[in-house]
Amino acid sequence: CEDDMDVEPNDPNAFLDDEFYSQPGAYQSAIAGVYANLTLTGIRGSGSSNIQGLDAGTSQYGRSLMNLQTISTDEAIWTYENDPGIREIQRKTWSSVNPILLGSFSRIMASVAFANEFLRQSTDDLLNQRNVPQDERAEIALYRAEAKFLRALAYYHLLDLFGKAPLYDETITVGSFQGEELNRQALFEHVETELLEVLDDMAAPRTVEFGRADQGTALMVLAKLYLNAEVYTGSPRYDDAMTYIEQLLNSGYTLANDYRNNFRGDNSTNEATSEIIFGIPSNFEESRSFGPVVVMTNGGVGSIEENNEDFGLFNPGWGGAIRLTPQFVEKFDGPEFENDVRNTILSEGRTREITDVSNPDEGFVLIKYTNIRSDGTNPEYDTFTDTAFPMFRLADVYLMYAEAHLRGGGGNISQAVSLINELRTRANGATINQSDLTLDFVLDERARELYWESHRRQDLIRFGKFSGGEYIWAFKGGSASGIPTNSIRNLYPIPAQSLSTNQNLSQNPGY
Amino acid sequence: TVTDNTGIPIPGVEVSIEDTNRGTSTDFDGKFTIEVNDGESIKVAYLGYKTQIITYTGQSNLEIQLQPDQDVLEEVVLVGYGSSRKKDITGSVSSLSKEDFTKGNIISANDLLQGRAAGVNITTGGGAPGSPAAIRIRGGGSLGASNDPLIVIDGLPLENAAPGGSRSVLSTINPNDIESLTILKDASAAAIYGNRASAGVIIIETKKGTKQFQVDYNYAAGIYTRFNEVDVFNAQDFRQIISERRPGDIDELGDANTNWQDEIYRTALSADHNISIRGNLLKRIPTRLSVGHLDQDGLRLTSEYQRTNASIALNPSFFKDHLRINLNANFSQEKNRFAPAVEGAALRFDPTRPVRDPSSPFGGYFEYFTNSSSGIPTPELTVRNPVATLLQRNDRTETNRYYGNLNIDYRFHFLPEMKAVVNLGMDVGEGSGRNILSPESAQGYNSENELVGSEGFFENERRNYLADGYLNYKKDLFKDFNADFTLGYSYQRFENDGFNVGNLRDPQFSDRVEFADIDLVLVAYFARAVFNYEDKYVLTSTYRRDGSSRFSTVNRWGDFFSGAFAWNIMEEDFMQDQNTFDNLKLRAGVGQTGQQGIGPRGIYFANYEVARNVDQSNYMFGSTPIIPGLPTARNTKAQWETATTFNAGIDFAFFKNRLSGAVDIYHRETDNLYVFAGVPDGANFSNFFDQNSGTLETQGLEVELSGIIFDAKGDTDKFDWALNYNVTFMNQEITSLANNEAIRVGGVGGGTGGTIQIHDVGSAPNAFHVFNQVYDANGNPIEGAYADLDGDNVITEDDRYLYRNPMPDITMGLQSTMNYKNFDFTFNLRASLGNYNYNNVNSSNAQYNLLQQQSTVGNIPRSVLETNFQFTENVIFSDIYIEDASFLRMDNIQLGYTFKDFFNKGNNFRLYAGLQNAFVITDYSGLDPEIFGGIDNTIYPRPRTFLVGANVNF
Repeated sequence: CEDDMDVEPNDPNAFLDDEFYSQPGAYQSAIAGVYANLTLTGIRGSGSSNIQGLDAGTSQYGRSLMNLQTISTDEAIWTYENDPGIREIQRKTWSSVNPILLGSFSRIMASVAFANEFLRQSTDDLLNQRNVPQDERAEIALYRAEAKFLRALAYYHLLDLFGKAPLYDETITVGSFQGEELNRQALFEHVETELLEVLDDMAAPRTVEFGRADQGTALMVLAKLYLNAEVYTGSPRYDDAMTYIEQLLNSGYTLANDYRNNFRGDNSTNEATSEIIFGIPSNFEESRSFGPVVVMTNGGVGSIEENNEDFGLFNPGWGGAIRLTPQFVEKFDGPEFENDVRNTILSEGRTREITDVSNPDEGFVLIKYTNIRSDGTNPEYDTFTDTAFPMFRLADVYLMYAEAHLRGGGGNISQAVSLINELRTRANGATINQSDLTLDFVLDERARELYWESHRRQDLIRFGKFSGGEYIWAFKGGSASGIPTNSIRNLYPIPAQSLSTNQNLSQNPGY
Repeated sequence: TVTDNTGIPIPGVEVSIEDTNRGTSTDFDGKFTIEVNDGESIKVAYLGYKTQIITYTGQSNLEIQLQPDQDVLEEVVLVGYGSSRKKDITGSVSSLSKEDFTKGNIISANDLLQGRAAGVNITTGGGAPGSPAAIRIRGGGSLGASNDPLIVIDGLPLENAAPGGSRSVLSTINPNDIESLTILKDASAAAIYGNRASAGVIIIETKKGTKQFQVDYNYAAGIYTRFNEVDVFNAQDFRQIISERRPGDIDELGDANTNWQDEIYRTALSADHNISIRGNLLKRIPTRLSVGHLDQDGLRLTSEYQRTNASIALNPSFFKDHLRINLNANFSQEKNRFAPAVEGAALRFDPTRPVRDPSSPFGGYFEYFTNSSSGIPTPELTVRNPVATLLQRNDRTETNRYYGNLNIDYRFHFLPEMKAVVNLGMDVGEGSGRNILSPESAQGYNSENELVGSEGFFENERRNYLADGYLNYKKDLFKDFNADFTLGYSYQRFENDGFNVGNLRDPQFSDRVEFADIDLVLVAYFARAVFNYEDKYVLTSTYRRDGSSRFSTVNRWGDFFSGAFAWNIMEEDFMQDQNTFDNLKLRAGVGQTGQQGIGPRGIYFANYEVARNVDQSNYMFGSTPIIPGLPTARNTKAQWETATTFNAGIDFAFFKNRLSGAVDIYHRETDNLYVFAGVPDGANFSNFFDQNSGTLETQGLEVELSGIIFDAKGDTDKFDWALNYNVTFMNQEITSLANNEAIRVGGVGGGTGGTIQIHDVGSAPNAFHVFNQVYDANGNPIEGAYADLDGDNVITEDDRYLYRNPMPDITMGLQSTMNYKNFDFTFNLRASLGNYNYNNVNSSNAQYNLLQQQSTVGNIPRSVLETNFQFTENVIFSDIYIEDASFLRMDNIQLGYTFKDFFNKGNNFRLYAGLQNAFVITDYSGLDPEIFGGIDNTIYPRPRTFLVGANVNF
């Protein structure tokens, strides 16, 4: 009877690993699991989460990027400061006990853990042991490359946000192992090496389904890595950035004709698929989470406007969760932006200034992401969405070209101006001249083109304007008018729990 | 024939011939037959009576009358795998027999225990009929693992989870069938139940069959009324406050005058019938048959609870009582209608709006809606009419539970000191339910935005099988030195599976989703030795080796020991001449118990979970959803949590037993504490998992006193008054935790994912974690202004501090019983001191900005007038909402009158009337201070009940 204690799962949806991987299609299901960490918080619905210590939806990968790269900047004000941690993020007063920081660090490191598990479970030895048919092996090899890429992508995000990370690879047994710390220099090199190694094993650009990573995605991360290298390591690598930017320009991506198609309900199937280099997919019926697009649609509905139908939402939204700082609104000040399709700001009946964060009627709002499809049909969805979150898209590459050029990375000025003007023309906006193209212009233009796409904090840091006193916006440093902040805030602190569970990690300076 | 001092035959008396192996016991008529030679000594022994030794001189018939042993305080106490004389008890044990049970509105077994034993704290979840109660014996002692005591009914350990659709584990058991309740509090008493005994053990013994024919009938009827409400603005004051604070919203107001809290409740009725018949079936099998039916409506509209019980107990014995068989078979059917919690909506809903609105498209109930562009009435995003929420939903369940056991007790013919006991038990609960929302409901939209209502259903079956057995050998090894050995084995298996369908009327949620828990298998070997010298010194030692399928083969087994010693000072020679004490006994013991009741089963598995359709948790490759398979967090090192308890106690009785009682002190240390705590990021498939890391120390002092104030000495014409009082002092402190990292717990309403409590080293569990409110010179709180405790000039999470906790410092219970002539009068008082609540009703509602309720206006608590707070976000974690929730509650008062010899001699007919939950004295500002866990989000109000009833026996 003692043998009876050797129990096994009884649930029809649970398996021991060998049993799971011996089923047909298991490896596709497993790589989908690694990808799923980008959009799902758990596999028991949008309220479930494999990351704890905060609300399930807040731990979503793209939501973490949104909180740390968008809400922390001049692009947005979050009304509900009783949502744990958000007050400190948007006022730049966070500490290492902030639950959003823990959720973000843990969620991104989970991608590393899931990718490692896929690599452990898909070795040739195990494929042979499990009698996986030969004709599936090429696809599995591609999945392995994608798993390695997703691991590198996660480390890239940690490099940018936290400046360090513990090293885990597929040789480490699942348990409580404490990975060695990679400092920012070492982490930079690690991401660089991993991406360069995996690049050739990945699918050619635009040859796999939307939602999967290909060489184009890897090129984009490399380009971003080098563009920000000076911030990450102190050594500029703008020429390397330009190399990968130019490769991307020649990889067959094209701008969508309609800027707004990038953010519509069918952006994973409409013409935007030629512009979006990598998007985190979402699907109303099949794949639900409280990801960034769900938040920016429901949260975008104005408290005064009650304009949920403009977002393709059947429900009335979240009472005005997200508004704009006056400093962001200024980026669209001026007659040349009146007809710019990127300018979706609603100001009627609202004050530009926000005196009390809790009052959703103060401050302007805008409409960026919607559920409405490119043909104008409105599905009137309830809360969730089909709209993918465009993590990387071609317009960003255009702007990166101009910046890398201006920072001495090579290329030529006329190409830079022409790329910018392509974006402007598409947006129905005024074109610029060569003399207009300055670094400050690029930063503002990036805000206009790429707001709410989780680039802003990284951009402001690269331009020296995130911390310190050079650029002040509402509620920066805490108060309504804003105050300078300490430069330590260019990096987030390692979450207290992550430090205490892994003795190899050290805290970032100043925290 | 053996009889007691009143001449009534005593069955089961041990009869043996000294210095031989010959022995027997008396049958149900007190008769025995034994082979005996002239000059041999016949020893006749029975617990609670003085042993007699008769030298045989050739009599053919012996009439032996046993005299009660004055030294023994009557009872035999169940100790797990056997029983013991109270005199021999070495651990901390409280027991209640049916004579001592709380009278009143007893719906569930926990009602019998509430406030009755020191160290046992019972908090019901609210006033819903059959509402589950949190039972904590000495505070439990775990953080992440279960703190529920092990409940053993007639030797069958129950599972703490109830089958789907049942109100609670105990709610299916008919309290009228219970003979006695025994609580094993310290480890030396509980260690024999090793693996599940860390949080204490409650042993329930049901009533048995007898030879005498007797019929008992009990009837009780109750009227349930509400006696308190959350203080929100009435219609008139609400109009006033809106005109002052939100003049632009004046036209949002209606012209009705509605108290929504009055509208969602009603005065409810209950009726409870129980009949039991006892007698000698086929002139051979003592039998008890009982049938009960309880029908109770809840205070909240639509809430219903019906329970039907049938039990049979067969207690025959064979071969001159060498073989005894106890068969208990029980059937219980519970039919419920659950009423959704609408307290929050009731206090928020605009009091100037009516309940009903003839023009409403939503079934004639007032709702906020707009006519959308397509002309279809679309509910606005705001609070829904709570009366409609109740009346438009029909959520019914039915649970059939079959439980019972077969106990075979054989005393060896050739070795009467030895007996073998085999116990086979099972508990199968089948639950099913259907939850229908009317298509007229404003909440009745499916995910395709069709107003079709909803219809979900489920089935669930929980099964629990037990097989255990033990050998017991009891013998006088030397003169006056008795030894009692027990050696046993236990096997128990728990299974749980079923399916549910989320919503038949929604194509996205209409799938049948099957679920099945991993089986739980528990195997144990146990041994106990009790040595008794001259009844003065008693030494008990137990050992138990436990295996649980929750752990990998490496950590599967746990070994648990205990040892305890008792000194019956009364038996000493030097006590024979004194008159002060009637009982004096010292006890001391130490023991270990284990805990494996952690959340997930199979935590050590290399487990993969695959998303189910209904969860909509796929990943899209282009337009193709791919079902993801994800590994789950695993802990291959999970092992037993172990509690070590030291307990010392004294039992005493003075003044000819008119004052008796016990005092116990204990210290318990729980090691390898189960906590849900951090794991290095990247090392596993989550950032938290269940792990053994931490230590929790609990210490306490418990006093139980029984006093006879007026002793009528059995003369019913005299006034008789007895009091039972118990008091518990307890303190808990976490002394270490995984990675020294505090654990946030206690989710609150208002905001997304906020927590108000924390487990931290150096503090009690669940300490409130709050900001320190700053007040102005006039003593008024300044909104959002908090003490900058870390001195960094900004208020951040780091400025939250630990302040108070929900656990009482002192709890007390007092029961008074008076009898005079044919009248009886009892009451039960219960007090809790030093327990604090977080008033989440106020913290998430009492701010002026909530006068706007999404697209409409909304009511808020009047306490906003004291704080003048504007925004919830600014104040929700303020310590202003931590309130002292000490209370004194009159649980029940009852007056009865008995008509003696009503039908004929020996028959009684008793009528009674009582008041349940008569009053509560407290400073707490919320609805009810008694909130398990200390976070008050409004509860289902506990009703005040007026009860009348009758007991008849003939």
